[in-house]
Amino acid sequence: DRQTLVAVLQFLRRSNLRESEEILRREARLLGDDLGAAALSPAGAGLLGAPGGDADAAGGEALLSRVTTAAATAIGGSAATVASSSPGVAAVTAVPPGKVGGGVAVEDQPDVSAVLSAYNQQGDPTLYEEYYSGLKHFIECSLDCHRAELSQLFYPLFVHMYLELVYNQHESEAKSFFERFHGDQECYYQDDLRVLSSLTKKEHMKGNETMLDFRTSKFVLRISRDSYQLLKRHLQEKQNNQIWNIVQEHLYIDIFDGMPRSKQQIDAMVGSLAGEAKREANKAKVFFGLLKEPEFDVPLDDEDEEGENEEGKPKKKKPKKDSGGSKSKKQDPNAPPQNRIPLPELKDSDKLDKVMNMKEAARRVRLGPECLPSICFYTFLNAYQGLTAVDITDDSSMIVGGFADSTVRVWSVTPKKLRSVKTAADLSLIDKESDDVLERIMDEKTASELKILYGHSGPVYGTSFSPDRNYLLSCSEDGTVRLWSLQTFTCLVGYKGHNYPVWDTQFSPYGYYFVSGGHDRVARLWATDHYQPLRIFAGHLADVTCTRFHPNSNYIATGSADRTVRLWDVLNGNCVRIFTGHKGPIHSLAFSPNGRFLATGATDGRVLLWDIGHGLMVGELKGHTDTVYALRFSRDGEILASGSMDNTVRLWDAVKAFEDLETDDFTTATGHINLPENSQDLLLGTYMTKSTPVIHLHFTRRNLLLAAGAYSSQ
Amino acid sequence: MEPAKMASPKSAPKDAQVMAQILKDMGITEYEPRVINQMLEFTYRYVTTILEDAKIYSSHAKKSNVDADDVRLAIQCRTDQSFTSPPPRDFLLDIARQKNQTPLPLIKPYSGPRLPPDRYCLTAPNYRLKSLQKKVSSSAGRITVPRLSVGAVSSRPSTPTLGTPAAQTVSVSAKVGTPVSLAGQRFTVQIPSSQAAVKSATPTTPTVQNVLINPSLIGPKNILITTNMVSSQNPSNESNPLKRKHEDDDDYDNL
Repeated sequence: DRQTLVAVLQFLRRSNLRESEEILRREARLLGDDLGAAALSPAGAGLLGAPGGDADAAGGEALLSRVTTAAATAIGGSAATVASSSPGVAAVTAVPPGKVGGGVAVEDQPDVSAVLSAYNQQGDPTLYEEYYSGLKHFIECSLDCHRAELSQLFYPLFVHMYLELVYNQHESEAKSFFERFHGDQECYYQDDLRVLSSLTKKEHMKGNETMLDFRTSKFVLRISRDSYQLLKRHLQEKQNNQIWNIVQEHLYIDIFDGMPRSKQQIDAMVGSLAGEAKREANKAKVFFGLLKEPEFDVPLDDEDEEGENEEGKPKKKKPKKDSGGSKSKKQDPNAPPQNRIPLPELKDSDKLDKVMNMKEAARRVRLGPECLPSICFYTFLNAYQGLTAVDITDDSSMIVGGFADSTVRVWSVTPKKLRSVKTAADLSLIDKESDDVLERIMDEKTASELKILYGHSGPVYGTSFSPDRNYLLSCSEDGTVRLWSLQTFTCLVGYKGHNYPVWDTQFSPYGYYFVSGGHDRVARLWATDHYQPLRIFAGHLADVTCTRFHPNSNYIATGSADRTVRLWDVLNGNCVRIFTGHKGPIHSLAFSPNGRFLATGATDGRVLLWDIGHGLMVGELKGHTDTVYALRFSRDGEILASGSMDNTVRLWDAVKAFEDLETDDFTTATGHINLPENSQDLLLGTYMTKSTPVIHLHFTRRNLLLAAGAYSSQ
Repeated sequence: MEPAKMASPKSAPKDAQVMAQILKDMGITEYEPRVINQMLEFTYRYVTTILEDAKIYSSHAKKSNVDADDVRLAIQCRTDQSFTSPPPRDFLLDIARQKNQTPLPLIKPYSGPRLPPDRYCLTAPNYRLKSLQKKVSSSAGRITVPRLSVGAVSSRPSTPTLGTPAAQTVSVSAKVGTPVSLAGQRFTVQIPSSQAAVKSATPTTPTVQNVLINPSLIGPKNILITTNMVSSQNPSNESNPLKRKHEDDDDYDNL
């Protein structure tokens, strides 16, 4: 506190408020020579409105409030002088340099945004209610076409001002502010508001990383130029200076030229904790094409050319391929170069697998609105709400369940039982030269349909088979990701990096890499032979709840509890896309097989469709009434299946949803699109289970839909 | 489970009613009835711990009463200990930037199962079999009967559940430095480096049972030994050869 007082004195001197400085110094009984020696510590940045109880000088509090009001009016005038006089204002990441209007004089400081934000205060706390209601009045009286856009300001301003009051320990003002205005906010922010209502003291905020990040980051709003001009003109009037400062401090307004958006359009895109996405965030080039499949001789049935021609094309594969074996050799401009990221080479077993895949693909059922898939549901009985994760191998031969009792159970779906390799003792007895040695090494005596894997010390929240079916990953609340061998059914490695619950993990489509995301708000990319992560994807404001690889393994999509979906580049860890629009934590992600589109599902029951190349929302599928936990595209991308906690599986027409997209330059410039209200047209079928929430969906190679869930008796 | 059945107001104690109200305020409408009990227990334990800590701090500062600062300090210390929160955002961005700068490592072809170095895997056996009884002597030389099958104690990612010492056929082409001595009924097999030890062992029990030595091949090579792994241990061990005896600690050095 002494540092604080020293800092205040320094600031007063700098702003030429000599009288106040003298009075304060006398009151605090500080000697003049102390000031010269005292260096400004990072915590001792210029403070206005010091926390009431902390001032140890007797009359300091009353004095400081006088100083506050005096300084507040002087801010506007002295802002320029202070800005020029404060040397080397460090470019603090979350705090813009231009915010000196908040009255902070900083010396050369490292990144202390969190600390500085403690000392930022725009205006008088008791007047916050006035500011807010003034702004509210203005917005409500504005023209209809602008009102929807300007109403976006309400929520971020409300939260930031409230947090400001709490952080600076004006508890009663905070409470009354909350009481008065929390009812005005949109319904989809109710969960956040409930969390906020429990934060009444500064100490409460310390444990809540999400709220701290929210405070120090800027909420992004997208407003058309006309509305913005209107707002700016109003706020720059003399009496509204304070709120203008607050707006500049906490909001980032992304201006676009074009028609102001309607309420409906805005509602579709808002909802995330950080506002919407800036347009630059979605401008990077994304290679969404597929990697070329290697060509090799397919032992003949017919139609081998069709199978071989799987190179990346931007359009979906046409159903009846004009056979003629035209193998277009030119590189898809949207596909990443083959060696952009190192990928494991194909082993012989992988090649055999691919051959099998092609054979199955030839017999695949063509799905469409007239030809819906059959759905086979695997119900987990007697799980007592303990089933937390499910995965099925690509060839649908094994199914794994992760449970809340920390076990991982693997079942064989086919009549073939699960066998593990014999013990070393027995292995030495077999004839190593025989032709069927690969069969002989398997132990028939302990073959069973079910194998239980023990090892985790917490509920298992995510499971993933490797594409070659040799490995299984599981991630758990104990903070580790475990790699299990499916040859010996034992645990091979425990990857420790997240020290907090890991919510999801997935193998890459080519094996070797895997991604995990957890409570520590980051996603990590690992390789099976490195005990530390290769990449860390940091940027979300809240837990990462869902992680998926793009089919070409070059990008990773993460869905988070901050209601955004981000697409990350594996090569350099950059975030290349931010998709906002969900109103609840995201729990399911699915890439379309051609790599162009992403479908996301969240607790709000909506499924949103995104065009990755342009970075736009292209569809909204309404229908589910509860969290969508499972999403999967059919093998050729014609049908999107979604499974939800409301005990239904719904099938949607993906071809129709993605056709006729208006993606001209205008749309991409403004960043939003007119979404047609066609959920009903796209819905092909709703299938109800008997009180079994659906948590996993999987299309077999022949386009039979498998679903999994645990029976819950209520 | 069934949705919450609120205890009727007149029978639930006040604390439980307060807890139920808190749950309602935080938006939790469906919960098992025992959640309230668990929350109350947690609250009691937490508050007691904090207050006890605060009392200690206040007596350390030689104050007569516990005041708010003590409580604040107690909370802060406990929070850092038990309720850690994930790292702050700027720290994460910083380490992410560092980590993402290194290029992705190239993948070596033909490298078998791609696993981290053995130190970081869980594939090493987490047990050791007890070696022979020390009754022979403490000298370095003793029958080092090959205990486990060849290649068993390795860190290959094959099953670690190996080495069940069942009867095994081990063919040892031992370079027997000294000739085998067939002394009457009892015979001993000398495997290089153990000489005296073996001889002293013979009086007690036949050290090696079922040793078949082709009499015509008493040579330095081609000694076929069929041995029961447990035979050289105490009979009591035969029943449970895997049981480790902790007193023979120095046996483990011989691995």
